[in-house]
Amino acid sequence: MTQPPVLIAFPKGRLGDELVPRLAGTPLALDTAALKSRVLRIPTATPGVAALLLKGADLPRYVAAGVASLGIVGSDTLDEMDVDLLELADLGFGACRLSLCALAGVTLEQLRARPHLRLATKFPKATEAWLAREGLTAELVPLSSSAELAPLLGLADAIVDLVQTGGTLRAHGLVETAVLGRSSARLVAARGAYLSEPGRIRPLADLLLGALKDKA
Amino acid sequence: MPVRTPHFPDLLFGSAARLRRWEGALMDLLAAHGYRELHPSLVLRGAVPEGGLRFFDGDDLVALRWDFTVALAGLLARGFPAPPDRVAYAGAVFRRPVQPWEAVERFEVGCERIQPEGEATNEADVELARLLMAIPGALGLKSAILHLGNAALVRRPLEAEGIFGELADAVVAALSRRAPHRVREALDGHPSGARLSAHAEALLSELDGPRTLDALASSPYAELLAGEREHMDRALQALLPILPPNLELRVDLADVAGLGFYTGPTLRLWAPGAQQELAAGGRYDRLFPGLGRPWQAAGFCVRLSRLLDLAETRPDLFEQPQ
Repeated sequence: MTQPPVLIAFPKGRLGDELVPRLAGTPLALDTAALKSRVLRIPTATPGVAALLLKGADLPRYVAAGVASLGIVGSDTLDEMDVDLLELADLGFGACRLSLCALAGVTLEQLRARPHLRLATKFPKATEAWLAREGLTAELVPLSSSAELAPLLGLADAIVDLVQTGGTLRAHGLVETAVLGRSSARLVAARGAYLSEPGRIRPLADLLLGALKDKA
Repeated sequence: MPVRTPHFPDLLFGSAARLRRWEGALMDLLAAHGYRELHPSLVLRGAVPEGGLRFFDGDDLVALRWDFTVALAGLLARGFPAPPDRVAYAGAVFRRPVQPWEAVERFEVGCERIQPEGEATNEADVELARLLMAIPGALGLKSAILHLGNAALVRRPLEAEGIFGELADAVVAALSRRAPHRVREALDGHPSGARLSAHAEALLSELDGPRTLDALASSPYAELLAGEREHMDRALQALLPILPPNLELRVDLADVAGLGFYTGPTLRLWAPGAQQELAAGGRYDRLFPGLGRPWQAAGFCVRLSRLLDLAETRPDLFEQPQ
């Protein structure tokens, strides 16, 4: 029986924008014609290996269910989700900070002193963990994008969001007041595929690691 | 936000017949090796863990049987002054699943080897591994992989370093993810961080045949774990000559699943391409002493529900029944 193709889940968005050029010229380079189309399943330069382009928040589910054998996703996404998968390596790129950000002039002490602190975020788990460590309580305002608007428009006192260069923050008059954690791209694997077919999956994981290392 | 819908699948003709056939074949196999069946009640009283299915029977809070090993341990500790040496079980357990695709009602067949404390356990561990090696043949699986591990490889270094509670949980979670970088993160600033990180690297370096054991030599805890290594080595010497042609044997030094329960050797059965292990077990010597009985035990459980799913999604992995 012919083996079905191995699928690797690659992220769309910021992390994907960093990843795709790194893969160019490697055995896992993505087909450029397919990349320009709206197709979400893209052949790679290695026969029998195809890439799925997925939103970061969906990607771990595809890997945990074994639909994709390997994937690349930010550790911030992994930390927010309760999914069972293997995390084989910290790939180093896509590094950013998970930070508490407020309008310029508002200090951490001022935020601490608020009797009713409101924090907008798409990272509720990390935010709750930080609040617990700090001995603070807050109302969490769940958002899925454009969190920078929340303090400007009075939806929240501050936000917890990923900061890479700080450009988006500055454009909205926000500053970092505390760093809650750090995030970077991780190579993840489906537990079942990795443990039941290591002869098939491990060499592919090594190939991917090698391709990204050479481009580092 | 996780979505958990109750998943109670009905078994239609083919699956129902397969379940009946497999359960019979496995119980016959266990009976032929001296394992006698015990059938603990489907309704359990007493403390129920999170995930159990609870309901009121009049004024009494009761639960459906959520785990055979726990149910059997209660039954044995209550009713037997001396342990029966070999016990088998078959039936359903009911637990809210961790993974959304798993059913609440799960069919299992399993066995336990129980001994008084102090008796040598090597032969019992090998006996269970040999039995598990016969399971793929009894189920008509064309090929399978048996993983041998040992919970003590992680437990003992953590205990030796005085690491318990949340920090131990973080290290175990990182190992379960096979993420050495997470181990380093969890132990950042701890006096034993460098040693335990090096140990994690050694455990995660290989997932292969008997030579995987050699990776332990590079661990800072090689001396502490010499007994475990010798035990695993002896088990491999006993099992390799009788390995069926359709079964691959791998040593998985980083198997930490169920570390809170297992105390020694662990066994897991996989089929190539299966997304979940099909059987799992190991040594759990702290269970009966916790119930006031000076007994030690090991056993394994075959997850028939997962096998039924696999037969539906990957029929190519099974021989066609005669």
